[in-house]
Amino acid sequence: MEALRQPCMSHEVRGEEDVKCVLCSRKAVSDLCTYHERAKRKVEAGYRTWTKAYGEIEWKDYLDKVKRNGQTGQWAKEIAGMLEGL
Amino acid sequence: MASTASGYTLVICEKPDAARRVAEALSGGGAQNSAADGVTVFKFTSQGEDFVVCSAQGHVYAISDPFEERTVYPVFDVEWYPSNLVEEKSASAARRIGAIRKLAGGAAKFVNACDFDTEGETIGFNVLRYACGSKEREALRAKFSTLTKDDVMVAFRQAKPQAGQGLARAGRARHLIDFVWGVNLSRVLSQSALSSGHRYRTISMGRVQGPTLAFLVEREIEIREFVPSPFWKVSGTFEKNGTRFTAGYSKERVGSRATAERDRDDCRGKEGVATSVVRSAVQVPPPPPFSTGDLQKEAYRVFGFPPSRTLQIAERLYLSALVSYPRTGSQHLPPSINYRAILQGLERLGRYSKVAKDLLGSALNPAQGAKTDSAHPAVHPTGEVPRGHLNPPEAAVFDLITRRFLAAFGPPAKRELVTVRLSVGGHGFVLGGGRTMYQGWIGSYDSYASTRDTSVPDMALGDRFRVVRVDIEERFERGPSRYNQSSLLEKMERENIGTKATRADIISTLVERGYVEGGDMMVTDLGLAVIETMEKYAPVIVTTKLTRKIEERLEEVEGEARGDAELVRETVRSIAEQLVGLSANEDLVGREIDAALAVTVAASHVLGPCPACKSGQLRIIRSRKTRKRFVGCSNYSSGCRASAPLPQRGTIKTTPNACPHCSWPVVYVMDGRTPWRLCVNPVCPTKSEGKKT
Repeated sequence: MEALRQPCMSHEVRGEEDVKCVLCSRKAVSDLCTYHERAKRKVEAGYRTWTKAYGEIEWKDYLDKVKRNGQTGQWAKEIAGMLEGL
Repeated sequence: MASTASGYTLVICEKPDAARRVAEALSGGGAQNSAADGVTVFKFTSQGEDFVVCSAQGHVYAISDPFEERTVYPVFDVEWYPSNLVEEKSASAARRIGAIRKLAGGAAKFVNACDFDTEGETIGFNVLRYACGSKEREALRAKFSTLTKDDVMVAFRQAKPQAGQGLARAGRARHLIDFVWGVNLSRVLSQSALSSGHRYRTISMGRVQGPTLAFLVEREIEIREFVPSPFWKVSGTFEKNGTRFTAGYSKERVGSRATAERDRDDCRGKEGVATSVVRSAVQVPPPPPFSTGDLQKEAYRVFGFPPSRTLQIAERLYLSALVSYPRTGSQHLPPSINYRAILQGLERLGRYSKVAKDLLGSALNPAQGAKTDSAHPAVHPTGEVPRGHLNPPEAAVFDLITRRFLAAFGPPAKRELVTVRLSVGGHGFVLGGGRTMYQGWIGSYDSYASTRDTSVPDMALGDRFRVVRVDIEERFERGPSRYNQSSLLEKMERENIGTKATRADIISTLVERGYVEGGDMMVTDLGLAVIETMEKYAPVIVTTKLTRKIEERLEEVEGEARGDAELVRETVRSIAEQLVGLSANEDLVGREIDAALAVTVAASHVLGPCPACKSGQLRIIRSRKTRKRFVGCSNYSSGCRASAPLPQRGTIKTTPNACPHCSWPVVYVMDGRTPWRLCVNPVCPTKSEGKKT
C-alpha cells in the first residue's frame, strides 16, 4: 500500500554528529524526531479510519484533506505535507 | 490582653495597609501615625495599654546561599537573609527591618498580627526572630479573617502564644525546599545551555513549576499530533400543526458516510411519532461560597481575569476590609462570621438591599461545599460599605463575591426539564429543553448564573408529525483543547500541587520564562525541550509524585504531626540524586536546551508574512552598526526592501494579528506605560490621521 512507503533519506549520516529531523531541528531517531515519528504513526492510522468512514479515499486525497483540516495538529500537518510530496 | 507595667505592645502586621486598619480598629480611630526611620507606625493607648503598630512589607527576609555566583551549584548551605541583600527590588526591606529592630527595643510585649496562613506565619516568625531578638515563642498571635473592627478586637482579646508553630515551620521548610530545588536545577540547566550555546538565559525549574509544565507539554503533544476523524451529524426538521421544529438524531455521531446517507434516505417521506415525553422537575441547589480557587476560576469565566490578577484584586478588597481573607481553601461559611450582621451591612448597599432584606426575613442556612480550611472561612463580603471609589475590576470582583455570598443563602431554583423521544421509520430523534420555574438563588447571582431556557414544541405521547427533511452534515472530531489559566489552576488543585497562594504565580512564571505563550498557553519549543530533557535525565523532578508527597508532608508539619528537619533532609537528598543525573550529562542537556532556545528566540522575532513580497517574513532585526532595532524582510537578499523603524525603548512583543487597514503586522510595545498596540507600517493610513492603531 502506498501509505506504507517510507520517506527517502534526505540527509547523510555524518560521523558522530546529531542527525536532525527532516521536518524540524530536533534530534532524529531515523529521519524524524520522536514527535514527528509519533505523528506519522497517527497519520497512517488515521487513513484506516478515514477509509472506513468514506468507504473509499485515495491516499493523496486523504493527506491533502488532513493537511487542510483546521483540527489537525501542527506535527500531523507537517507529516501529511511530507508524505504528500513523496 | 493584660496591660504591661513598662514598655509598649509592639504589633507586627504583614503590610502597611493592614497595620493602618488594625490600628484604627484597636484605637477606635484615634491612632497617631508617625515616622520611625522613614517607616509609618501607629501609636495609641487603649485601656491603659500603649500600643505601637508597625508592619513588614510582605517578606522582608528571604532564603539565599552565600555565593552570589549563578554558576555555582550544587548549593545546599542556605540561610535566611534580609531581602534587600537577596533582591534588588527589596531595597526598602533594610529600612523596615531597622525600624522594627529599634521599636522592639522599647517593647514589653509582642503581637504577631500577620495574615493567618503559612506565608503570614512565616513573615511574622522571621520578623520576631531576626528583627525583634527571638521573640517568636513569647509573642501573642492575633488571628482574624477580616479587617473589620469587630473581628480585629475579638482577635486581640483572644490572642495567645503559639505552641508548636507548625504553620511557620511548614512555611519556612517550604521556602527552604523550594529555594534549594529551584536554584540548583535552574543553575544546572542555565549553565548547561550557556556552555553549549554561549547564550545566557534563565531556565528555571521549580518544584511545582516542573510538573505543571509537564501537564502542558503532555497536552501540547496530543494537540500537535492530532489527526481528526470524520463523522456525520444527522438532524431532522419536522412539522406538527403547521409548526416546524428541529430534533437531533439519537446517535450523536455516525461514523460512516454510507450509514448516515442510508439513515437519511430511510426517513424520507415518512411520518414520525412521539414515543415518549418525559417532564421532570429538578431542584438546582445554590452554589457553595468561594474558596480561592473557585473565585479565580469564576472570575476567569465571567470576566476573563487571569487567576493572579483576581487574587491581587481580592487582596486589595481584603485590605480595604470589604471582603474576608482571600487565600482560603474553604467552601464553608461558619455561623461565627455573623450572617445577619453581614446581610444588614449589605442592605445599606443599594443594589444588594432588596436581596439582603428578603434573606433577613428568613432562616439563614447557607449552602456549604465539601472543602474546609481550619484557618479561614470561604471568601465573603464583610458587610462594610466601600469608603472610596472602587476601580472597575475591583468593583467587578467585589460584586462577584457578594452575589455568590447572597446566592449561597438563597433557596434552590426549580427547573422543568423536558425530553421528547421521536421515531421516524424506526430511527430515533430527541428533543430536549428546560426552563426555570422558580428562580431561587439564581435571582441573587444575577447575570453570573449560566442557566438558559430552551423551549420544546408542545408534544404528547403518540402525537404524529410530518418529516420535512433530514439533513446530514460532515463534521470532524475536535482536537484536545489547550489548558487555559483557569483549567490549569483546576488541574493543579486536583493533583494537589502548589498552594492556593502560589498556583497563580507559578502559571505566570511559565509565561515569563518563555515556556508557554499566549492566553491559550501554547507550549514553546523551549518548554518542550526542558521537559523532554528533564524526563530523560532527572525524571522525578517533573512527575507529580515527589512534589505531591512533599505537599502532604508539609501539611503534616503544619498540623504539628511531623518535624520539618526530617522532611528537609529527605527532600535535599532527592534533589541531590537528580542533580547527579543532570550534571553527568551536562553537555547533552546543554545542546538540547540550546537548540530549542535558538528556535524560540528566532520565533519571538518573527512578526508575520511580508505584505510587500508576499513570500518572506517580517522580522525584528538589530543593526550591527548602530545596534538599533528595526523591521526587515527575510527576503532582503532576494531584493525585498520592506522595512520599518521600531521604538528603541521597551520590550516589543509579537502578536499574530495583522493591521486591518494595511495588513502589516501589529506588535505590542511595553515601555513602562500602559502597553500599546503599534502597526509597524510607517505609512499605515491610520498614522496619517495621527492615531496609533
